[in-house]
Amino acid sequence: MTKITLKPKRQFSVPIEASVITPENFAAKTMEQIKLLEVWDGNRPTTLGSLFDVSSEPDGGDEMTIFIEGDVSKLRRIGKGMRSGSMTINGPAGMHLGEAMKGGTITVNGDAGSWLGARMRGGTIEVSGDAGDYVGSAYRGSREGMKGGQIFIHGNAGNELGCWMKKGFIRIGKNVSQLAGIHMTDGTILVEGDSEARIGAQMKGGRIVVLGKVANVLPSFSIEEIRNVVRAGEERLPGPFYVFAGDLTEGGEGRLYALKEKNPHLQFCEAYIE
Amino acid sequence: MNDELIIRNGIVVDPANDIDREVMDIAIRGGKIVRKASPSAKIIDASGMLVMPGGVDIHSHIAGSKTNAARVMRPEDHVRDFERKTALTRSGVGHSIPSTFTTGYRYARMGYTTVIEPATPPMKTRHTHEELNDIPIIDKACFPLFGNNWHVMEYLEKGDVDGCAAYIAWMLRSTKGYAIKIVNPGGVEAWHWGGNIRGLDWEVPNFGITPREIIRGLCKVNKILKLPHTIHVHPNNLGKPGNYLNTIKTMDCVKDLAEEGRAAIHITHCQFTSFKGEDWSTLRSGAEEIANYVNKVKHVTIDMGQIIFTATTTMTADGPFEYILHQLQGRKWHNTDVEAETGAGIVPVVYKRKNFVNTTQWAIGLELALLVKDPWRIYMTTDHPNAGPFTAYPRVISWLMSKKARENTMKRLNQGAVKKSNLPSLDREYSFAEMATVTRAATARALGLKDKGHLGIGADADVSIYGVNPKEVDPSNDYRAVRKAMRRAAYTIKEGEIVVRDGEIVKVIEGKTFWADARVPDDMEMKLQSELSEKFQDYYTIQAENYVIAEDYLARSAPIIPGGTR
Amino acid sequence: MKILSDELVIKNVVCPFCGCCCDDLEITVSKNSIVSAKNACALSQAKFGSQKEERISTPRERIDGKPLETNYEKAIRHSARILAEARYPLLWGWSCTSCEAQKIGVELAEEVGGVIDNTTSTCHGPGLLAVHDIGESSCTLGEVRHRADLIIYWGCNPVHAHPRHMRRYSVQSEGRFRKGRKERKMIVVDVRNTATAKMADEFIQIEPNSDYEALTAIRMCLKGEELEQEKIAGLPSTRFEQLMDELINCDYGVIFFGLGLTMSRGKSRNIDAALSLVRDLNSKTKFLIMPMRGHFNVAGANEVFAWQTGYPFAIDFSQGYPQYNPGDTSGVDIAARGDCDAALVIASDPISNFPLDAAKNLSSIPIMTIDPHETVTTSVSEVVMPSTMVGIEDEGTVYRMDGVPLMLKKLIEPPEGVLPDTEILSAILKEVRALNRGR
Repeated sequence: MTKITLKPKRQFSVPIEASVITPENFAAKTMEQIKLLEVWDGNRPTTLGSLFDVSSEPDGGDEMTIFIEGDVSKLRRIGKGMRSGSMTINGPAGMHLGEAMKGGTITVNGDAGSWLGARMRGGTIEVSGDAGDYVGSAYRGSREGMKGGQIFIHGNAGNELGCWMKKGFIRIGKNVSQLAGIHMTDGTILVEGDSEARIGAQMKGGRIVVLGKVANVLPSFSIEEIRNVVRAGEERLPGPFYVFAGDLTEGGEGRLYALKEKNPHLQFCEAYIE
Repeated sequence: MNDELIIRNGIVVDPANDIDREVMDIAIRGGKIVRKASPSAKIIDASGMLVMPGGVDIHSHIAGSKTNAARVMRPEDHVRDFERKTALTRSGVGHSIPSTFTTGYRYARMGYTTVIEPATPPMKTRHTHEELNDIPIIDKACFPLFGNNWHVMEYLEKGDVDGCAAYIAWMLRSTKGYAIKIVNPGGVEAWHWGGNIRGLDWEVPNFGITPREIIRGLCKVNKILKLPHTIHVHPNNLGKPGNYLNTIKTMDCVKDLAEEGRAAIHITHCQFTSFKGEDWSTLRSGAEEIANYVNKVKHVTIDMGQIIFTATTTMTADGPFEYILHQLQGRKWHNTDVEAETGAGIVPVVYKRKNFVNTTQWAIGLELALLVKDPWRIYMTTDHPNAGPFTAYPRVISWLMSKKARENTMKRLNQGAVKKSNLPSLDREYSFAEMATVTRAATARALGLKDKGHLGIGADADVSIYGVNPKEVDPSNDYRAVRKAMRRAAYTIKEGEIVVRDGEIVKVIEGKTFWADARVPDDMEMKLQSELSEKFQDYYTIQAENYVIAEDYLARSAPIIPGGTR
Repeated sequence: MKILSDELVIKNVVCPFCGCCCDDLEITVSKNSIVSAKNACALSQAKFGSQKEERISTPRERIDGKPLETNYEKAIRHSARILAEARYPLLWGWSCTSCEAQKIGVELAEEVGGVIDNTTSTCHGPGLLAVHDIGESSCTLGEVRHRADLIIYWGCNPVHAHPRHMRRYSVQSEGRFRKGRKERKMIVVDVRNTATAKMADEFIQIEPNSDYEALTAIRMCLKGEELEQEKIAGLPSTRFEQLMDELINCDYGVIFFGLGLTMSRGKSRNIDAALSLVRDLNSKTKFLIMPMRGHFNVAGANEVFAWQTGYPFAIDFSQGYPQYNPGDTSGVDIAARGDCDAALVIASDPISNFPLDAAKNLSSIPIMTIDPHETVTTSVSEVVMPSTMVGIEDEGTVYRMDGVPLMLKKLIEPPEGVLPDTEILSAILKEVRALNRGR
């Protein structure tokens, strides 16, 4: 198939609406057609070709691949709704990357903005650096969060990761800020580093595993047991882990697993194990 | 400027004037229907097209505090349905709680020219008017809520109907309202303490009055004031299985007060209060019993409240009902109680085809329409957006006019509910004349808007022209053609101006806001003012002077003098 | 209206200061000045009293880096040109103007394809975000006055910020069913012992940034669940069981909340927890919640924006239709990221109020300000257009913190030659339209 490379022609200052950048939109189009795809430069509709140098080369693989080289932190909604193919962004990526994605792969060698993989349905997103707030979340007012797919962030993530999550897998290599898993109903979140306060807030179901320190466990979680091994995604993680059930204010049957060794301040909970 | 228009050769359906699919010309001048126009009139060639008076929607929640609270609560409702700004039109959002500009455009595109906001809390009616001012093209009016109002309950408890009449007249003038709206009488006051009222003869806590007395009292007031529309009632127990009995009792409780040839009560969105059964699993339709009663008497009118299978939003002054709905379904819940007057609740809802209860509800609305014999006493509504968005009206029309349309829909529904329903055995199909009646002619007449809902000389030049030939198309079989045509008017004419062409807005004008300029004799008025100046401070947290809405607040004020309207 | 010598007393005046919108003020006016304001609180007195201070008398433009006096016509044309050419303009402020001005603002934002946002973004925005998820059990202020026997002020200090709130609407008011202070219980939850806390029957001091935990603990007790932590939010966990008992044993409870809840860590989720608690409490007793809106018409800005666009703040028109996502389309975040290339500021002082990086970015783009008074923002603006003070020199519609609409009155004439913001905005809109047609 083809590999298309996009290079920004200049530094972008105002937000660029770039939801046309998906493998489906590029497949079966000529270079000229791709360059004419509509993007918004702030409030001015313009063409992809006026903002990017677009080049292509044949590629041995059987899927469309897109490479974006440079700072696209002002670009919104790259990969929106994509179903197949792959995209690699070598540079910081903007907000709403991979929104409502259904399949395919997005790789970011750099940081990603907020709302990464919001409303995701399938596919894979991988970020080498950090991500912002609301990773894998729902739209305002909606309870339809991430419903499938996988998100891997090698660095840190911001607040409210996995907000209203329904299914799927999110893995954070480093630390996560407040309120990860808020209102989640199912799915799995794995935090390899530390978590700030209020992890699992108001969760009704699903699993959150933290291999580092959790700043606190909410009063709405109850200690269930100590477990030696916990599964997350494909892996079996060695513990022992404190296993909390919650969020009980929502009648929740979610599970929060905190690595015992990294959480000595949670030792008090052992007195409550029945 | 040439304000003359001739609609030539259209196939006119004008039930108020006994015109049923006659080919004739309609002449317009100065915003009115006239006998003849001059040769220089602009001509619309309506050959082969259905010509009707513009639609008159008697009950649709389009403006005011609870509508806006719903917009704020539900950004997810708007996000996928939006309209871009054009050279002529403002941008906006749609689906179940459209923004104001979009509301006006969407009604106009369907050939509707008058819409009533049926429930406004008097204290916040300034807000309702601000929104109505921002709804383009259509004419409108709003109904202030009185069924839980402290002044009203106190007057009626004392038996002072005249005092109550003076108060209602002042309230209609002060809020620029059109009619007396009653929602869950007494129940919303009880809800302000967390309770509810479940029967016509329950006493409202702290007020010593019953819903029966409230409804009867306001019915008497309506007669005294000769208001253009009858009392518009959302009974107690809405949404509760078994409530059809209470609905019949409610209709019956003012039978003795009825005047010859006039309705004494209108039961709105009757589907929601026509439930038989003890609980949700035994829910059945009470439509037959309701229809039998309506057919037997002359003093009752109803509107459907037809269910549409979609995600929509319930919003009503019936606060306790909304709390119960929230508890049943677990969706988010908004509530605003308004001091000394009324309240509101909002809960999103999804009506699903395979759901037993929703299918039963869907059947009830249609059964009511097919079993009530007189199309002048039943109106087509979806209680927008409670049972469905107003943009679904063409679909409801197709169900009314075609048994096949109903059957095709029924195939996809909950079969257990379908089997228990009367609907499959009902063969009646609405004619074009009946359809025009329940969407225009009857509603205009019920509202006392004598220049609306018909195309006689002197009527307002509000005309809708649809791309369907009512003499050639058989709506029973070809209901899809009717539905498609009704979605996008070929022409919508408002006050003699062409505002829609082929379903697109071609001109934006400002509609009028009707209100009832109700008055009582000077001595009653003076008595009222002295009573109000004593009580107002105690009841409200705003001054009486600031409660009153000046006429110039309305973009185009159109007062109706009660008593002279029929 | 009473006339006493050359004085005029105007009654039933709506105060244009805070979200209480008290409408019982009696303003005495003489020789086009405000002489006295009866029933006005200290904040209101200060606003009426400083009506003539720091007024901008004529429009200004920055030409070659120097501020020069100009006229409205030139200032409006200059502003319109900048806005029409901008690719992502921000129209910010709006909470201290009338609904009539706000409507023109929406139309202007749509015309220029920009973002319109009001100060909700920096104060009660988190509350609205939580309402999107949970809804809200609320009422008008008179309901509190008539029925409430338990009133909780959480994270707010009405003694300082809403001085007449307690006497007009809550603990010290007299209603049909509650005759006064003795028939009501007042609880204050805060991180400091404020002036309001000192008036409470019960003051609950929680640790800073622990409101979410405190609310969660109460919700747990309400659900009948046992708390497994001895200390929560800096208090012994048994305290929450006691508090929950008080809450369910009242007949009618109300929580008023302020920036202590919306702006401390957790932000919208603090309100989420509070809204959820109040919702849960309704299964036991009648309970309501209300935000203590700061500015006198920020609620109005939410209402106007919502009915015209579907969304209450942070509306992005750049693609020709309303889009909404606070954090993305909110003014303070747009400024922080340096996304906007021009700004129209009305009745607000973002250079003072915004976080440092946002203020810095704003200072580096052309700003057009419409304001009666000199502010830090006007001192760095490219165009400054003085406006009248609505509620004193101009009438207009406003919405009280509980959504009740009121009309502000015009009491005196504005300073010579100063125009109302509605006129200025309409003129800018007209000019922008002409420029856009030309393009």
